[in-house]
Order: sequence, then C-alpha cells, then structure tokens
Amino acid sequence: MASILDDDPRIIEFDVRTDEMLVNMGPQHPSTHGVLRLVLRTDGEIVSEVEPHIGYLHRCAEKIGENLTARQWIPYTDRMDYLAAMNMNLGWSLAVEKLMKYEVSEKARHLRVLIAELGRIASHLVGMGAYGLDLGTFSPFLYAFREREKILDLFEEACGARLTYSYITVGGLTADLPPGWLQRCEAFLDQFEPVIKEYHALLTTNAIFVKRTANIGVMSREMAIDYGCSGPVLRGSGVDQDLRRDGEAIYTAMYDGYAFEVAVMKNGRYPRDHEYPPVPPDAVIGDCWHRFFVRMIEVVQSMDLVRQAIDRYSACKGTIGEPLKLTEKIPAGDAYLETECPKGQMGFYLVGDGTAIPWRARARSSSFSNLSVTADLCRGCLIADVPAIVGSLDIVMGEIDR
Amino acid sequence: MVEYLIDRVGLPGWLAWTAAASLAAVLILNVIAGGALVFIWAERKIAARIQDRLGPTRTGGKFGWLQSLADGIKLLAKEDLMPDGADGMLFRLAPYVSFCASFCAFIALPFAFDFVGLRLNVAVFFVVAVLGLEVFGVILAGYASASKWSLFGSMREAAQVVSYEVPLGMCVVVPVMLAGSMDMVTIAEKQAGWFWNWYLFHDPFTFVIFWVYVTCAVASVNRAPFDLAEAESELVAGFHTEYSGLRWSFFFMAEYGSMFLVSAMAAVLFLGGWNGPVPLATLAGLSEGTGDTAGYLVRLLGMVNLLGKATLGVLVMMWIRWTLPRLRIDQVMTTCLKYCTPIAAVMFAGAMLWQLFLPGGLVPGMRRPAGEIREGWLEGPGGRGAASAATGSGDLVLAPAAQVRP
Amino acid sequence: MIGGSVAVASTCCLGAVVPPLAMLDWHAVFFMLFAAAACGCALAVVLADNVVRMAFYLVLSLGATAGLFFLAGAEFVGAMQLMIYVGGTLVLLVFGVMLTAQAPFVSIKTSAAEKAFAGLLGGALLTLLLVAALSVEPWRRPGSVGPTEPSATPLGMALVGVRVDEPPAHSPAVGRSGYLLPFEIISVHLLVVLVAAAYLARAKRRKTPRPVEMVASVEPPVSVAEHAAIGREAAVGAPARSGSVLVGGGS
Repeated sequence: MASILDDDPRIIEFDVRTDEMLVNMGPQHPSTHGVLRLVLRTDGEIVSEVEPHIGYLHRCAEKIGENLTARQWIPYTDRMDYLAAMNMNLGWSLAVEKLMKYEVSEKARHLRVLIAELGRIASHLVGMGAYGLDLGTFSPFLYAFREREKILDLFEEACGARLTYSYITVGGLTADLPPGWLQRCEAFLDQFEPVIKEYHALLTTNAIFVKRTANIGVMSREMAIDYGCSGPVLRGSGVDQDLRRDGEAIYTAMYDGYAFEVAVMKNGRYPRDHEYPPVPPDAVIGDCWHRFFVRMIEVVQSMDLVRQAIDRYSACKGTIGEPLKLTEKIPAGDAYLETECPKGQMGFYLVGDGTAIPWRARARSSSFSNLSVTADLCRGCLIADVPAIVGSLDIVMGEIDR
Repeated sequence: MVEYLIDRVGLPGWLAWTAAASLAAVLILNVIAGGALVFIWAERKIAARIQDRLGPTRTGGKFGWLQSLADGIKLLAKEDLMPDGADGMLFRLAPYVSFCASFCAFIALPFAFDFVGLRLNVAVFFVVAVLGLEVFGVILAGYASASKWSLFGSMREAAQVVSYEVPLGMCVVVPVMLAGSMDMVTIAEKQAGWFWNWYLFHDPFTFVIFWVYVTCAVASVNRAPFDLAEAESELVAGFHTEYSGLRWSFFFMAEYGSMFLVSAMAAVLFLGGWNGPVPLATLAGLSEGTGDTAGYLVRLLGMVNLLGKATLGVLVMMWIRWTLPRLRIDQVMTTCLKYCTPIAAVMFAGAMLWQLFLPGGLVPGMRRPAGEIREGWLEGPGGRGAASAATGSGDLVLAPAAQVRP
Repeated sequence: MIGGSVAVASTCCLGAVVPPLAMLDWHAVFFMLFAAAACGCALAVVLADNVVRMAFYLVLSLGATAGLFFLAGAEFVGAMQLMIYVGGTLVLLVFGVMLTAQAPFVSIKTSAAEKAFAGLLGGALLTLLLVAALSVEPWRRPGSVGPTEPSATPLGMALVGVRVDEPPAHSPAVGRSGYLLPFEIISVHLLVVLVAAAYLARAKRRKTPRPVEMVASVEPPVSVAEHAAIGREAAVGAPARSGSVLVGGGS
C-alpha cells in the first residue's frame, strides 16, 4: 500500500514502544469514595486523560421530593451528603423557610448553628481521614473516626440517629437537647483540641504527605471559579468566599453575632496561622495540600463556633419551639437557597403551588461541580496522583447522584 | 553438631545426620511458616493497638492468638478463582515462585554459630541474589492475571526492586569488607563481644549506612511506605488483585518471610548477629565454639538473640507501615537513585578509608581484629609452592592464592 | 537459544568436575536432576511461543544452571549466575510484558522452513559443541591434586583452558588442553545471537502505516493525514514513547 508515508524519509517507526492503556478506576475501587467511575487513559504510569462517570447511586431523590411534603423530604436530604446529614437538613429547611418567610426562635437558631458546625467537624474528619487512606496511610483514618464517633454519640443523644438524623427540620428542630448534653459536648471539644495536633503530625506536616500533596493538582483561582467549585476546594485556591458570611440574608442571619474568619489564604497568610503548622515551601496555593489544610483550619474554626453557640444557646431562655406540621401548606412561588455545607455550597430549590407538596424540589450539589474539575486537574499526572487529587476534592457520591 | 550427637549422645551415625539435618530444616521451615503465622497475628495486633483498636480478641483465647490459624483455614476453604483471560500455568506458578525465592534464601542464613542450613562462603551474596528472585513471582502474577491493575503493580515492583538492589548491594558490601568475608557466620563472629563491637558502631560510616540499608530493605521487600506493588488505594490490590485463597496466602508468606530475612540480615551484618549486646556467655566463661553441651546452650542462646533482633526488625517495619503514607513511584525512584545510592556509595568509600587508616578505631581500647581475605583453592600442601614455582616460567599462571592481610 | 547454549555449555564443563554417574551417589543424582532441568527448560524456551513463558523457562534453565554451579562447589559463580543472568532475564521479562501489554498473550509464530533451518543450524552447532567438549580428557585422574576448598577459581580457569586438576608445572600443554574450545564456540554463538537480536530490534521504516491502536476503539479511527502528523511529531520530537513505566514525570 503506497502512502505519503513512504515518501517522507524522516518518518521512522520504532518497533519498541509502549501503548496507551484504558483503565477503569471504579465503580468498585477502594479510593473513589463510593461508586464513582473514572476512566483513565494511561501511558505507563502517566495519566493522559481522566473521564469521571457518575450515576451509579442515583435514587430519584428529587422526583420523590415532588411527591412528599416539605418536611417529609427531610430524610431524603439525609441521604445526599450522608457524611454531613445535619447540614443537608439545614439547607432544605432554610430553603422552605425562605419560601414561607418563616423565622425560627432565637434558641433554635443557636442550636442549629451548634449542630451544623458539629456536623461540619464530623464531615471534615471523614474527609481528612479518608484522604490519608487515599495516600496509603491507614491509621489517621481511624483516629479521625474515633473522634467522629464521639460526635455521632452526641448526635445520637440529641436525635436518636447516628447517620441519617432528620434532626434539623422545617420550622426548627425535632427535639431540644437532653440535659447534660452541653457539658458532654464541651468535654468533647476540650478533649478533641489536642488531638488535632496529632493529625498535623501524622498528615499535614508529614514529609511524605507533603511530597504527595504539595504542588499536585494545582487549581488556579480562575479555574476554581469557572468550574463553579465551592467550599474548601474554592477556598483552597485562594478565593475568599464563604456563604456563612457572604450568603443570603436568611442564612447569614443565623450566624449573626458569631465571630469567625473565613479559612482562606490572604496575602500569603491564613487567619490565625500561628496556631497551625507553617505552610511547607513546596505547597502552591490551589494544590491538594492547601485544600486539605483549609479543611483542617475549618475544623478548628468550627470548634470555636460550637463553643460560641453553646454560650449563646444556654443564654437563651424558653424553648426552641415546635417545628412546622408535616402537612404545612407551602405558598405558591419559588425559592432557591445555597448554604455553606462542609463539602461546598449546597443549593436547594423548590416551587410551591399552595399545597403541602412542593411542585418542584431540586438540589444543586457542590460535589458535582467540584468533581467536574477532575479531568482538568488529572491531565498529565501519575496514577498515584489520581486518588490524591480526587480525595482532596472530598466528594460524596450520594450528593452527586442524589 | 553431628560429631556432638555421635560422641556425646551416642547416636548412630545415620541417626545423627538425620537429626542434625532435621533440626536445620525445622528451623528454616518454622521461621517461614510459623513465623508468617505469628507475624500476621502480630501485625494485626500491632496495627490495632496503633490505631486505638483491640484487634483479634476471641479466636483462641484472650489475645486472639489463633486468628492466623483461623485465617489459614478460611483461605484453604476459599474458592480458588482464576480470571478467564489469565495465563493459567504462570498464574498458578507465580505464588510458588515468590515463596520459593523467599524460602531458599533462608538456607544460607545462620541462626547461631554453626546453626545454619548450608554454610556458604558467599552467603551474603547468595541471600541478596535469591531475595531478588522474589520479584519474579510478582511480575509473573501481574502479567498472568490479565488485569491491568495487576500489570501496573508488577511493573512497579520490577522497577523498584531492580533499582533498590543497587544501594542494597552497596550497603551489604560494607560489613563484608570489614569482616573480610562473605560468609555470614564469619561476619557475625567478628562482631562478638560487647555491643560496641557491632558493625553498626564500627565507625560513623557504618552507622549511616545501616539506615540506608534499612530503607533499601524495606523497599526491596515491598513494605510501606514503598508498597507500591500492591498500593491498595491506587491499584486495588496491585499484583495480587486476582488471587484468592491459598495462592494469595503464599504471597503473604513470601512477604513475611522476606521481611524476616532482611531483618535477620540486618542483625547479622550490623547488629552483631547472634551476639547479644552483653557477652553473657563469655563473661560466664563459656564458649560457643566448643562442641559440648554448654557450647550448644550458648548457641541456643545466640539463636534466641538473633531471632529476637530479627523480630524486632519486623516489628519496626510494621510500625512504619501503620504510620507513614505511601510514596509515589517517581519519589520511590528518586529516593533510590538520588539519595540511597549516592549516600551508600560515599559511606562505602568512607568505611573503606576508615578501615585503611583507622582499622583499630578511634579509641585504643576498641581494637578489633582486621579483616582477612582468603582465596584458598590452592592452599593445600604443595599448592602454593607449585603456583609460585610456575610464576617464573612464563606460562599462563594461576592467580596465586596468597593470603592478603591488610 | 541463549539459555540452551549456556545450559549445554555448563553441562559439558561441569560434567567432568562432578563424579561420574557410575558412582550413583546423591551428588550425581542431583547433578542429573539439575542438568535435566537446565536442558529441558532450555528446550522449552526454544519451543514456547509466548514471550513471557519463554522468559520464564529461561529463568528456570538459568536457575538450574546455578544449581549445577552450587553442586560443583562454586557458590560464588552460582550466586553470580542468579544475580546477573536471572536478574537480567528479569529485565527481559519486564520488556516482554511491556511490549506485549496490549495484546496480553502475543505469540511468536515461526514457519516450518524457518524451524527446519534453525534446527539444522542449531543441531550442527550443538554437535560441534558436544564433540569439542567430549574430546577433552576426563578430569580427576588418580593421583591428581584436587582443590582444597571449593571456589570459583578452578571453574574460571577451566573455562579459559587450564587444567587445574593437575599441578600446573606437570601439565604438558597449559592453555591448550581444557575447555577453551567449547567455551569459544559458545562465545561466538552468543555473539551471533546478539547481532541477530540487534538486527531484529533495530529501528526500521515501515512500508505500511501502523495499524490503529487498540485503545483507539473509543475514539474515531485516526485518518491517514492525522497519522502522518503523529508520525512526524514522533520522529521530530520525542524519538519514541517507550519504557514510560519507569519515567516519573509527575512533579
């Protein structure tokens, strides 16, 4: 067969060469955080292309939401980000309250802050521990779960469940705290504070950990914004955005009077950075290390918020009030509200038609946007970097597939 | 030992031979098979304790010490699966190749003075060479599994082990040079006495090179943070992804066997072998060299010593495994080629110069015998004379088997 | 083929060092065992048609040869054999796997004519080798001076033709009586094999464009023009994308 190739003397075919391989990472794979499937095109160890496939955990939660009353849908939100179910409950409750223009009592507000921030700690503990697991160290994972279990114990006392709480609900919370709970919570915080130093020793400042994460998967500020990233992923790229401060009024009102600084690097410094280990010289803003570090800072920040919430909650007199009825009618109209969940900005949208059942219920997942950068971040990295990058995004498939 | 059994115990010759051979065989077998059981149990317990868990608590009593046995029975009963696309013969053979390599190296490992399967005059070299063969099984397993993850694992293993053999070899050469022999029995004998006679404390260079050896040894037996071949967060389970049941357990026995082997090698080469930190036997006026009952007791004590040191090494490897994250393949290679190899080379040169200029050490009281290099194939009666007589004749001359004494 | 010649060579060389079969002691039994393994596996290397299996048989053959060395008391050579040859085959194996990774069990097919020609050539060389090796007088005649301690030196000396079983002064024709001829035949043999391997592995121009790769099944087939562009890029830029498993380009 004659072709133009014959005429070109420069074209030399080398018989000794390797071929590209197409590898399926997942849906059953230890480090894809559930049932994510990544199709890798690799040349040896180098990944030239990553394509995430989702949908293995789709449960039609949104459609179900259009057949249930607003409060009945709360348990389904539990199953979205099942690692931070409290924050999911809160997001939906606030969205419904926004449409109904309902305001919860002062005491319930502080209790919500308390519970939501504890939920944030619990979620970041999993994110942090599982990240260690992605990088091949097993022990920090169990240290993280050890502490998370204590938070779950507290949650169990408050609402009776350990994973899917349905505690925060439309119009308040299902129950007030049992007696002695606040003391136990404070005892936990006191005990937990020094443990964070262990995490820093085992992960944040560990030489191998830094080598595996610093300057890996660097996401520029612009890229993070373009992809619609949010939460620690966005702040890890140095974007100063936190809905607890910048969000809609109904959400920021919850945090009225609370003192906290957004965990983001400004002018090369993190807030209160003297309390944390120094940033390693290899780390570049927007890399895996910074995303991880932002979570670590947020854990401390949330502990501080929990303490403040405990003070304010115990200062409030009276009760938290009753939540709305299960069959409470929703006014006609629509509402969309994004809240700052541990994984990022979780949005809920509902359209009411005057009945108790929303005509539309939709969720906007932060993990979905965060996951979408995978293909860009993983281009040209090594296979071992893929779990490191995906892990640093801290995704939950339950939230992506809904 | 045979003479002892014949002379002292009064056994007939064939029985004495059988008994001595059985003892050696039993030692080796037990260290590998029994050792693997014990180490798997220990790993579970240690991992659990490190991670604030309890580990096995019920199987076989309070400490779950029968857990490994229960695991073994489970593995025996498990279905032995083979992927459709696999190369059946290689897939079945691979675990045994790994296991045999790990097992064979024990032949040359001395457990105490004269307690050695086969006393080779090149024991160190033999062990390093045979240990390198373990990777064969891994590569075959990875290739034959017809799974891409397995293939990745085995390619990583090949790259890693082949690279790390270079610095490992350099580290091993230093004690060989100091002792003037590749015979592990001789090397250990040279370190007799107090613990400062150990080659670890011979000079600053050997002290540094010991740690290089530890790094390379961990890497060459594929333990964390160098366990890239089975990196479970990246490669599912690496080269043994497709294995199950007993075949899978053979890989594990090989891994624990190799772990023990490199630890025992570290003990022999750097940590005085079977000589304890304090020469108790010598202080008590006993000698391991004598063939009487007391001599054997001393050797037994030495064996306990060596097994203890090797076990300690294995436990340290477990400790490291449960503490550190895993390195990436390029970092593993960097560690080897940019750090371990140059450091080992410099330390090797340093140790050589030290041996040349300060053979007795810095402190006068620490004098130790200088190494002795022997090449004795023609040392017999008339052999040397004949060789030197031929020197003048202009014929092709055999290398004279002269004794070189620095 | 390499394995075969090495195995045969060592069999010939060592056959004299080890006691003859007539004594029927364990030493001889083990010798036969290892020799049979070495030769059998060498034969299997030639007959197998799967690259990785070939490498595996080669390893077995070389390992058995190492066993022969151990049996002869040349532990150093034995360990050397394991380290260098078996380790070298390891690299061979790795390349075999890397180059055939896409189609896992690539077979090497040879035509009947090639087989016949190779058999003829190999047979002739083997005959030459056997004649040369067996023409050497057996060692260890009564009254000879044996090595006092097993060591590699006598083996090495024997391979360059020196009769170490006799006092050098008494040897009538030092340098011309031992296993030098078989050794040299094998050396030339190996040289030919090396040249052939280099010929086969050389970079060459292809008459036809290379087939579309298997991975391309998920993308549209590459057109000829695109292919030419790829080829040009490969020729002008990076010479070849090979061995990338070992290349760490991440950080």
